[in-house]
Amino acid sequence: MIFLEIITKSFWAGIAAMGFAVLFNVPRRAILSIGMLGAVGGLIKFTVMNFDIGIIFASFLGATAIGIISIQMAHMRNSPPLVFSIPSVIPMVPGMFAYKMMLGLIALTSIENTDDYLQSLISTVNNGAKAMFILISLGTGVAIPMLLSRKESIKKSKFNKKKEVTV
Amino acid sequence: MKTLNENAQSVGTILLEIGALLMSSGASTNRTRITMERIARGLGYGIELLITQRALMLTIIEKDQQHFFSRLKRISPHGANFRIVSGISHLSWNVMEQDWTIAQISEEVQRLKALPHYPRLVVLGMVGLAGAGFCRIFGGGYIEMTVAFVATVAGLFVRQEATKAKFNPYLCIFFAAFAASLIAGTAEYLKIGTEPDKALATSVLFLVPGIPLINSVTDLMDGNIQNGMVRAMNGLMIAFSIAMGLLSVKMILNF
Repeated sequence: MIFLEIITKSFWAGIAAMGFAVLFNVPRRAILSIGMLGAVGGLIKFTVMNFDIGIIFASFLGATAIGIISIQMAHMRNSPPLVFSIPSVIPMVPGMFAYKMMLGLIALTSIENTDDYLQSLISTVNNGAKAMFILISLGTGVAIPMLLSRKESIKKSKFNKKKEVTV
Repeated sequence: MKTLNENAQSVGTILLEIGALLMSSGASTNRTRITMERIARGLGYGIELLITQRALMLTIIEKDQQHFFSRLKRISPHGANFRIVSGISHLSWNVMEQDWTIAQISEEVQRLKALPHYPRLVVLGMVGLAGAGFCRIFGGGYIEMTVAFVATVAGLFVRQEATKAKFNPYLCIFFAAFAASLIAGTAEYLKIGTEPDKALATSVLFLVPGIPLINSVTDLMDGNIQNGMVRAMNGLMIAFSIAMGLLSVKMILNF
């Protein structure tokens, strides 16, 4: 049952990635690939989280997978890798944590009771730290293939199997 | 090389236009720099660049090292457009490998700028589905997903209209967050569905500043600290606008 739940969640992560792809006006040939990439990233993230590993490392692994596959996709579909990787990681962006932190900060201005204040402060700092570290892990994860290959363009990268294709 | 019959001024103008397009369409600073340098090299010029979030500064050096040409260009921000990013990437390789001329380049840039967006209904529908998807990811049921879909579509519609009316961009996001959470909040108020708070929390997720925040990390990693900080601040301001919209609804509906 847990497995089914993970699959469903990943499917919807793929749909969400496709929604953002349309919002960002990606070329039509890239949309289905972005949906698949988003689902793969979600699958890895939710599976890893299922093993009681924190959301930060799980997001990092998902984003790394997206970063690596998006380079292959870039060659198959003839577009730069960021066109694939950015919409696919958007479902993992910690929007919820970011605005919970903002709501917490706003709430902190009006709480008088010390205990309530501490409770609110703890959750606000927790949400803010999670948002920040998830973002850093997403950014690094997507950039990992480029960081490892140390090339300026994927045309010269080792991850690129077909040398003659233009990107 | 083609340095003799093409003058630096038109090269500078077209390079600045390409750079400004890339920056406003959602490319990272490093990508903008690499692309502009590649095109300049293909045309036989060396360039030095200063890239900020709102302006580009370019100096072109001719091969003889005696003639320089400098110009500034303001970058006008308009939403992400990956068709342009993809098209300019093609263009830069064509310049490198097929020796495109400046006339060809500017023709291609004009063509890219005129490329259509997806039809409005398709965008609204797909982003609405994305909102429903977010709701499912955070554990909502079908009723909550429907509420999230309707709220997201309404919010995006409001954002598009507000952008068309040329409101301040953060205000546009505030309006959108307000509209989306007003619908989801009303559903919670009327106790529609079993976990209506999930629909409320996910109805504003389509506004998440994904591109500014991810590009911010990319820029910081590439050593473009200044641009990275600017983008992060922009992302925070957007998150703040979303939170304000949500807070206003919470105050109105009083929960």
